[in-house]
Amino acid sequence: MEGGLPFEVRRPSAGEYILVFNAPLSYDNAGAVWEGLNHFLREENPSSLVVDLSATPRIDSAGIALLRAIQRICERRRLELRFESIPPSALHFLTLIEKKEPPAPEKPPLTTARLITLLGFLVLHAWDEVVGFYRFCREFIVYSIRDLHHTRRFRWNEMLYYLQLTGANAMSIVFLLSFLLGLVMAFQAAVQLRQFGANIYVADLLSLAITRELAPVFTAIIVAGRSGSAFAAEIGTMKVNEELDALEVMGFNLAEFITMPKVIALMIAGPLLTMWANFSGIMGGIVVGIFTLDLTAYGFMAEIFSVLSMKDIITGLIKSEIFAMLVGLIGCFRGFETGTGADSVGRQTTSAVVSGIFAIIFADAIFTVIFHYLGW
Amino acid sequence: MKKDFPDSSSGTPVLCLEKLTIGYGDNVVLKDVDFCVNPGDIVTVLGGSGCGKSTLLKAMIGLLPPTKGRIFLRGEEISGNVSGRALAETRKRIGVLFQSAALIGSLTIAENVALPIIEFSKAPPKMVHDIVRLKLEMVKLGGFGDYFPSDLSGGMKKRAGLARAMALDPEILFCDEPSSGLDPVTSAEMDQLLLELNESLGITMVVITHDLPSIMTISDWSIMLDRSVRGIIAKGPPDELQKSPDPRVHAFFHRQPTPED
Ligand SMILES: Nc1ncnc2c1ncn2[C@@H]1O[C@H](COP(=O)(O)OP(=O)(O)OP(=O)(O)O)[C@@H](O)[C@H]1O
Ligand SMILES: [Mg+2]
Repeated sequence: MEGGLPFEVRRPSAGEYILVFNAPLSYDNAGAVWEGLNHFLREENPSSLVVDLSATPRIDSAGIALLRAIQRICERRRLELRFESIPPSALHFLTLIEKKEPPAPEKPPLTTARLITLLGFLVLHAWDEVVGFYRFCREFIVYSIRDLHHTRRFRWNEMLYYLQLTGANAMSIVFLLSFLLGLVMAFQAAVQLRQFGANIYVADLLSLAITRELAPVFTAIIVAGRSGSAFAAEIGTMKVNEELDALEVMGFNLAEFITMPKVIALMIAGPLLTMWANFSGIMGGIVVGIFTLDLTAYGFMAEIFSVLSMKDIITGLIKSEIFAMLVGLIGCFRGFETGTGADSVGRQTTSAVVSGIFAIIFADAIFTVIFHYLGW
Repeated sequence: MKKDFPDSSSGTPVLCLEKLTIGYGDNVVLKDVDFCVNPGDIVTVLGGSGCGKSTLLKAMIGLLPPTKGRIFLRGEEISGNVSGRALAETRKRIGVLFQSAALIGSLTIAENVALPIIEFSKAPPKMVHDIVRLKLEMVKLGGFGDYFPSDLSGGMKKRAGLARAMALDPEILFCDEPSSGLDPVTSAEMDQLLLELNESLGITMVVITHDLPSIMTISDWSIMLDRSVRGIIAKGPPDELQKSPDPRVHAFFHRQPTPED
């Protein structure tokens, strides 16, 4: 070796170089050889090169790639290159990758026109989604109405299973979060209202805010995170496994077979969970009332009953019903939109939660306007 | 005619199983399995459904620790209490083609093949691209590097899986049912490909299969497992097994229902 190069350099005549590789050209030393070679080329600047492989014990895939890299660098530097006694198999593999590569497709430059085109595609895509979702909902409603007449077609057991999954199993988390929400709300209100000696109005503020607004929205968001995503993941996985195709070919209607039990279960669970959240939130408020406002539980409850009307609770439940339906439908819709592959399932699951929450907030805004004009 | 079936005394086999017992919990699937694979040979593992072929594969590639017995790769024990690092080192020396090809769906074919090269070899990044192209050319998928697995047919997926299994030039290649789910022509092409790779690279292979034509074409040796004895009931060159008087082997090779059933 010469100057620490991982190969031997011979110079039979001026300007002519023979590189003799004695070590295997393999994954383990391809990097070292490549660096050595680059170093050698920088130092010596030869006009022609012979690479002698007669003493090379082994050439593996990385070795082939190395030979190809040597070819490339010689082409670029316009060096004459010859491989001496290259093993036939190595030569065969080398010719495999010597073939011209198909050129990579060029990315068109980002011009204003292209930007507008992209924007157009985005809008069209969004519109397609809206239309798709509309059709999906329509089918759901048509089949729901039909099943009202043929109740035996409805998959009751399946629905009960999902009711357990989305309703009963969510009770603890809904209780915990609503209780804390009520607690925090009441506490923040108490800090302000105490300054005016208006301690008892904490109960009014809390009960109205919870029943009309916070409990339905909060519960719906929890349901979107728990159940909307689960629906999307379950249906998406079924799609990837071709289970949906199988069901369709067997003659099942997917809206009826898959979507309905899930969405109906959610529409039952949603208002129930909201009631439960109303209760839990107010419990949180009572705790604050007792411990920081010197109110009695009885006094707090009495105030709540005096201010809270049935209307407040009903509007909350109406909202929660619609939210539950939206979350369920969006979750299922996203599941059906799954393409191929596991990553697609993940994307649709995320999207089910994001668009679910978006739909909840959007619908809530609409409800606020409607209820305002109705004077509720 | 070849010589006797290799055992641990015949030179340096690439892979040797010694009195291997494997199972899940108390459920023993295979017991006292003994065989060796010589360099450059293709050994097929045969047997009916549920006899433990996939289980044996899992044990050989270190996914399922054997209950008893030992596994040697070129004389070094790879079963038993080996450290995680030793196992990782071993795994770089073996390639596995899974039954479903097991390509990562979010990566392109080229990225799938590049994955082990980037992760586990010292190949300079500049050369990875050429190595990947070489592997894809070897399995006749040149030009498909930018496709995603979902865009390929079943046969192409298997070939891509093969390219990935071969990425690090393994000493031994394990294939789980390479021809399952393929039409006869495609599976014959797959057999041809395995033979070509075996010839040009001298790579040793253990192929799990119950595809008769494929067994006859590619095997140097065959090992037949059976569920009732939980072990090997026959080993030898396939044309010899085909003539075996054992009713279970005969039934397998002549596609008849087993005598017991
Ligand atoms: N994860 C597991 N846990 C418990 N038992 C298992 C497990 N996987 C397989 N088995 C059992 O091990 C036995 C052998 O299964 P294995 O999958 O190895 O069969 P096989 O020969 O590959 O069959 P096939 O040709 O159908 O793929 C079967 O009886 C099966 O029930
Ligand atoms: Mg199997």
